[in-house]
Amino acid sequence: MEDIMDISKPDTTVKCWVDLYSDKMYSWAFHKTSSKEIAEDIVQDTFLAAFQSISKFEGKSEPKTWLFAILNNKIAEHFRKQFRNPTVTESQSGSSLFDTLFDANDQWIKEQRPKEWQGEQAHLLDDVAFVKVLQGCMGKLPINWMAAIQLKYLEEKKGELICQELGIAPTNFWQVLHRAKLQLRKCLENHWFKK
Amino acid sequence: MKKIMQLLMLSCKKATELIEKRSLIRLSFREKVQLRLHKSMCDACTAYEKQSKKIDELLHNHIHDTDMEHTTILKNETLKEQIINNLPNS
Repeated sequence: MEDIMDISKPDTTVKCWVDLYSDKMYSWAFHKTSSKEIAEDIVQDTFLAAFQSISKFEGKSEPKTWLFAILNNKIAEHFRKQFRNPTVTESQSGSSLFDTLFDANDQWIKEQRPKEWQGEQAHLLDDVAFVKVLQGCMGKLPINWMAAIQLKYLEEKKGELICQELGIAPTNFWQVLHRAKLQLRKCLENHWFKK
Repeated sequence: MKKIMQLLMLSCKKATELIEKRSLIRLSFREKVQLRLHKSMCDACTAYEKQSKKIDELLHNHIHDTDMEHTTILKNETLKEQIINNLPNS
């Protein structure tokens, strides 16, 4: 156990970290990406990066915190890639979503007008049933919309910076987020919140 | 007057777009006025904004749940071996 903070022997230390944290990191990456292969690749990359930059680990933070910071960077990188490579159908699902919510004048269709949700719970995320609904709704989003959502909340960065890293105009990004939020809101309303 | 109103009037679609834009980037002065005016006349978009903020909060907490209270820990021994075998100098 003494080895876990010792960076003079990177081999032993990193092996020790793999043993201690790789299951947790893999589970987290899988939870984020919903893909076994991608999660494995990301964790593998993370340890390789950790090994190569171990001199930068100064023991100021827990190894676990440091590793998870690298891991989350790798996950964000993955979502940036997914955001940049949308499939053709996704632009179509955008306009058909708008058509289900707004009329020809871009006003809410009468039955779709948001009304206050009744009887909101205080600690919704402690409710396993709600988390299931939320994950289900997120899973239904087109891949690049989901990527935009993940990028917005995963890294607590300013919008401008997220767009810079993506190499896109901010307009592009919030328009995708707009669609994603509209769809997510509708899905949550249908499956959880009652009007 | 009519022209000024037209200039300031937003559709609900545009209003919801500005609501999402605002959570990411500062709105221009004109956009702020447009949105405030729209909400003062539109209950639906006012409700939308409230729900959008609620969803923001839920997503933020859900995505940041690194304590992994709600994540099942998966064992992956093959991956462990693979990582160790692929480390340089080992």
